[in-house]
Amino acid sequence: MARFLSRFGTPLGFLLLIAFFGFELPGTFFTSRNLINISQQMSMLAVVSATMTVVMAMGDFDLSVGSIASLAGIVAAIAFVAGAPPLVAVPLALAVGLAAGLVNGFLVAYVGIMPFIATLGALTVFSGLAFRLSDGKTIFGAAIPAAFGGFARGGVSVGGVTIPHLTLVAAAVLFLVWLFLEQTVLGRRLYAIGGNAEAARLAGVRIKPLKLLAFGLSGLGAAAAGLMLASRVASANPTQGAGLMLDAIAAVFLGMTMSENGEPRAPFTLIGVLLLGVLGNGLTQLDVDSYVRDIITGSIIIVAVAAGSLGKAREG
Amino acid sequence: MELLSIRGLAKAYGGAVALRGASLTLSAGQTLALMGENGAGKSTLIKILAGAVAADGGEIRLAGQPIAPRSPAEAHRLGLRFIHQELNIVAGLSVAENLWLGRPYPRRFGLVDWRALHARAGAALARLGVEHIAPQTILSRLPVGDRMLVKIASAFIDESGEPARVFVMDEPTAALTAQESQRLFRIVAALRARGCGVLYVSHRLDEVLTLADRITVLRDGQTAATLDAETATKAALIAAMTGGRAIDSAGGPAEASGAAAALTVEALSGEGLDDVAFTLGRGEILGVAGLAGAGAERLTRALVNGAGRLRLDGKPAAIRSPADAWAQGVALCPRERRAQGLLLMQDVARNIALPHLSRLNRWRFFLDRRRELGVAVEAGQRVRLKARGPRQKVRTLSGGNQQKAMFARAIAGPLRVLLLDEPTRGVDVGAKFDIYALLRELARAGAGVLVASSDQEELLHICSRILVMRDGRLAASASAADLTPQTLLALCYGES
Repeated sequence: MARFLSRFGTPLGFLLLIAFFGFELPGTFFTSRNLINISQQMSMLAVVSATMTVVMAMGDFDLSVGSIASLAGIVAAIAFVAGAPPLVAVPLALAVGLAAGLVNGFLVAYVGIMPFIATLGALTVFSGLAFRLSDGKTIFGAAIPAAFGGFARGGVSVGGVTIPHLTLVAAAVLFLVWLFLEQTVLGRRLYAIGGNAEAARLAGVRIKPLKLLAFGLSGLGAAAAGLMLASRVASANPTQGAGLMLDAIAAVFLGMTMSENGEPRAPFTLIGVLLLGVLGNGLTQLDVDSYVRDIITGSIIIVAVAAGSLGKAREG
Repeated sequence: MELLSIRGLAKAYGGAVALRGASLTLSAGQTLALMGENGAGKSTLIKILAGAVAADGGEIRLAGQPIAPRSPAEAHRLGLRFIHQELNIVAGLSVAENLWLGRPYPRRFGLVDWRALHARAGAALARLGVEHIAPQTILSRLPVGDRMLVKIASAFIDESGEPARVFVMDEPTAALTAQESQRLFRIVAALRARGCGVLYVSHRLDEVLTLADRITVLRDGQTAATLDAETATKAALIAAMTGGRAIDSAGGPAEASGAAAALTVEALSGEGLDDVAFTLGRGEILGVAGLAGAGAERLTRALVNGAGRLRLDGKPAAIRSPADAWAQGVALCPRERRAQGLLLMQDVARNIALPHLSRLNRWRFFLDRRRELGVAVEAGQRVRLKARGPRQKVRTLSGGNQQKAMFARAIAGPLRVLLLDEPTRGVDVGAKFDIYALLRELARAGAGVLVASSDQEELLHICSRILVMRDGRLAASASAADLTPQTLLALCYGES
């Protein structure tokens, strides 16, 4: 029973949550409009969580994703102000995110700093950079091209239902991360590092380049999420990514409780993201105070992860 | 006088029967060795004695009184002391602090009286005849053998309850060098002289035959035989443990083929080694012996970490990391299978295939799961790995099968040189001989095999030639046929 709850507690809780909101919000929760709305609301979190899954598969963390997201949004906005078209500004912002992630990876893999410390320091530096570049102000208005802001509002029409672009981007990133982690040689090696780094090294895994790559991907994912946020509000400000990091780590942890050997996996991360997304959407509709929402969200994360480790402790 | 007697002890975990009527008798002032293959029930018997699990049936008497310890604390109060293979110590604390773990420290004015603590710790060590360990030393600075001595000394400190009467030692020499083992044997003799009984669990036949008075062999949860050590032979013990199953029929050391060199070490320095040079022939099983700290235990790691100038099959080879080594057909089985060898939470197939993934792919990127599984199953069969299937978690395999999983990994790809460090540590007799047979087979197929081991019996048994390390240097090289355990030990000490 304890083992069952520890592995299936998260999906079970997710289903209960959906049932609860469906019952409490008749006629508004289970509408295609609301469900599509939810998918769009959590698409940024889904992207960051997906690439966070790559880093956590190695047993590391990336605390800097929120400030990389903010920085990427600011970089794109400044490029727009300077007259750059989206085809230049977007790749530039993504390149800055990738470079920021590679800096993290270099510090962790080649300098040998603990990921917690390295990415905490990076978080502060990137956040400071975002403030410095933007003078602490929100960049908006005519400088942001209509095509950029329009992307987030647009979608692809499938049989009368319009799937938002942001949802499609999130789905694509999750699919690519799944493909990378579970269907490629590099993914296998990443999980080997997460299982036992020294054993993996002695079995011929080159750890340093893989760490560099994983943190680079995390930076790239964070930058993509930052651009999605900026596109959604057709503006950029230096704090817009702030909430992403904790939610992303929480989503991956929720997913990890479902996997047989405690490894983070992309499909399970998706469930974690969905759970957080549905919770936020439902509680907002029920007019629950946002502070209370934080208390509930935090409690759910602790209960889920505690149930997971209780099951493991009993097994061992 | 009968100190400890066990009659008809039974225990089942769910459906799995671990003990079905095991019996033994230990007299005061005696050493009784307990032997048996992994899974024969030794660990369960000890856990029942220690109060860690409850027996389903049977009787335990201590000095004639029936006992049934329900907790480790109760077992301790009854005068039973346990010295386990895995040391229960805190490496960052001093010797004295480790000795007094879980015991009230001596106090003065409400504060810890360090002087008294160190004096008492010194006295406890002295009672064992251990004079060379200072109580203030931080434990992590001591060699493994000395840590074991500290652990044993802690079993002697009696603060409460009965004084120690029975010592149960579970594979105490598994991590010790020959020299350290000798010191332990002297302590066992001293315990007997004080009238204590020693229940001694070991896989090492030579050790058991010299140390014990009598030997009880468990097989399939039952007492298969109790032999007098004076008259017992290795063959009789192996027959009792295995039920007469023939093992290691190949016997004897491998022949040196005299063929071309598989691995030539021109100069290996650093990591505590000083200019080591030797040649490993194709088809040769070459042993590396040495006392603890002499460098034998660092040789295989230094070879793959890029500390030396090497040639493979006569051509210069660049090996700067284990990845380079595996890519060129140099396979490595590290010393600590749990800490350095295996991914315990992952399955058998993933563990075996890990170094060979660069071959098991499509378009150099995507994993070929079917070939991953195929390679793992084939290699597993070759080493006679016993698992429910390739997706069983390595953590749930027995020690011997975990070791075999590491061997399966080593042979799953093209193999030119195999580097082994303590290949049979903590492995039962059956698995050990499976491993020896495999090494001979690999050597016959043309691989060069390098075995670093602290088990001299093992080196003399399987190697054609043995290198002896002393102070990080290569001190001697001799044909195994010209060596005896005594002359090999003398070479290790440098008194030839």
